[in-house]
Amino acid sequence: MTDLAIVARGLRKHYGLVIAVDGIDLAVPRGTIYALLGPNGAGKTTTINMLTTLASPTAGEAAVCGYDVVRQADRVRACIGVTFQDIVLDSDLTGREVLDIHGRLYRQPAALRRQRIAELVDLVQLGEAIDRRVRTYSGGMKRRLELARGLMTDPQVLFLDEPTQGLDPQNRVGIWSYIRALNRERGLTLLLTTHYMDEAEALASRVGIVDRGRLVAEGAPGDLVATLGADVIRVRGSGNQAHFVSQVAALPFVARVETDVEAAMVLVYVDSGSRRLVEVVGLAGGNGFVVEDVTVARPSLGDVFLHHTGRALRD
Amino acid sequence: MDATLVIWNKHMTKFLRSTEELLGLMLQSVLWVVLFGVGMRGMIGEVDGSDYMSYILPGIIALSALGGAVGGGMVLLDERLRGILKEYLAAPIPRLSILLGSATSTATKALIQALIMLVVGVLMGARLAPNPFGWLASLLLLAVFAVGFSGMALAVAAVSRSIAGYHGMIFLFNLPLLFASNALYPLAVLPGWMLTIVLLNPTTYLIDAVRGLAFGAPFTLPLPLSVAVVALFAVACTWLALSVFRRSIRG
Repeated sequence: MTDLAIVARGLRKHYGLVIAVDGIDLAVPRGTIYALLGPNGAGKTTTINMLTTLASPTAGEAAVCGYDVVRQADRVRACIGVTFQDIVLDSDLTGREVLDIHGRLYRQPAALRRQRIAELVDLVQLGEAIDRRVRTYSGGMKRRLELARGLMTDPQVLFLDEPTQGLDPQNRVGIWSYIRALNRERGLTLLLTTHYMDEAEALASRVGIVDRGRLVAEGAPGDLVATLGADVIRVRGSGNQAHFVSQVAALPFVARVETDVEAAMVLVYVDSGSRRLVEVVGLAGGNGFVVEDVTVARPSLGDVFLHHTGRALRD
Repeated sequence: MDATLVIWNKHMTKFLRSTEELLGLMLQSVLWVVLFGVGMRGMIGEVDGSDYMSYILPGIIALSALGGAVGGGMVLLDERLRGILKEYLAAPIPRLSILLGSATSTATKALIQALIMLVVGVLMGARLAPNPFGWLASLLLLAVFAVGFSGMALAVAAVSRSIAGYHGMIFLFNLPLLFASNALYPLAVLPGWMLTIVLLNPTTYLIDAVRGLAFGAPFTLPLPLSVAVVALFAVACTWLALSVFRRSIRG
């Protein structure tokens, strides 16, 4: 037995000529929340599909709960819970029926199903609504019901594909708190995908940044950010950007300069933002680059993404 | 086996809740028998010694079984397109039970529709043979036939990309199965080329057997042959559904 809940080595998936996943390695220890962060189409869902046995890898191998996802697919299925990217619920059934049918598929005895449903309704706060048809639910309630369904069989590993997509901020924060509670109180291992940087930052103990089917960076969110420098000065402006960049890069205290072309933004990583701000901005004047906006901040996962892919991750 | 039962049960729950589907099913049955049957009866007195209502009822029942199967196939298609299938696929259940659950619920619906039709037909004056074993045998044969139709519908449902595409493809089967059979006219009146086509249609054998067994009409085809053809049809369609379904879920 290993203390890794999820392991993947050289995982690849091709659909004809399209390479959806281009060799991904993962090692997720038990009891962690791991976030795959990347834009839509990066290969996050395909990766989850392979780990949850819905798709078979073209090459490479993966194990979940210590079982091979291809050769021991049924064992993997028995130890995981999954929620899918789209809301996948029968609107003609009641919430209770959705959970009960799920438990029956996993051969849970009736008494256990009743007990689990009672616990989960409490956890995701569906209350009386559990006996209403799903068609009457709001988007947030549907997501909560799906979360409960994923937990119905008391899995060791829970996969959440874009768990808060399409939810309003209040519901997102609600889902986040359930996820954190599950991890903290039951030691549940969670692997989630998201294209929201704040979600990965708020939840994950480890983040894997995915772009074009590859894992381009991985680590604790704090460490990933720290490698970029202590502070980032974001300078938005118009004019001769290239000249400004080359001038700034020559300054001794500048660790790195990156450009976000789409947003006409120059990102200057420095040891201390407030102390260096004047010097950096000073270089703009008279050099054909007109500064429109300046902010000083701690770097974010979005900056990490830009650093590794050369493109900005937009919500 | 458990999972098959769970899925069957879930499909039947959904079926009994969807009032439109139930109402449509009833209405379709009644319209066929009452409007078509009664209308034609005014024109045609009797065929091969049966009154026309008794004569066409087996064909209409077979058609309604097809209607039920189409509805059942829709459930699989709907679950596929909306992603509900993924819940089953991620569960530790045999892949076969997903198809079997859909096939049994589909056949059940087809049989329910056939039964409604039978009752309405008898109320409208179709005369059953006095032998209850004949009725039972007919129902059994109808069930086997329904499994065959369900297989066909599920095979189409497993590959269709949209609901419209599904209905388009089903429509291709639907009318020929009725018109290129002995449902509305006896084999004896058909020209040779049409007789060939009609004899290739498994519906013909079902109808001939049901006519003889349940309505006391003379068999125009040997009963063992009819039973064999219907059984073979069911096996072939189930196999087709299975192989198509297997291919469709391979991720």
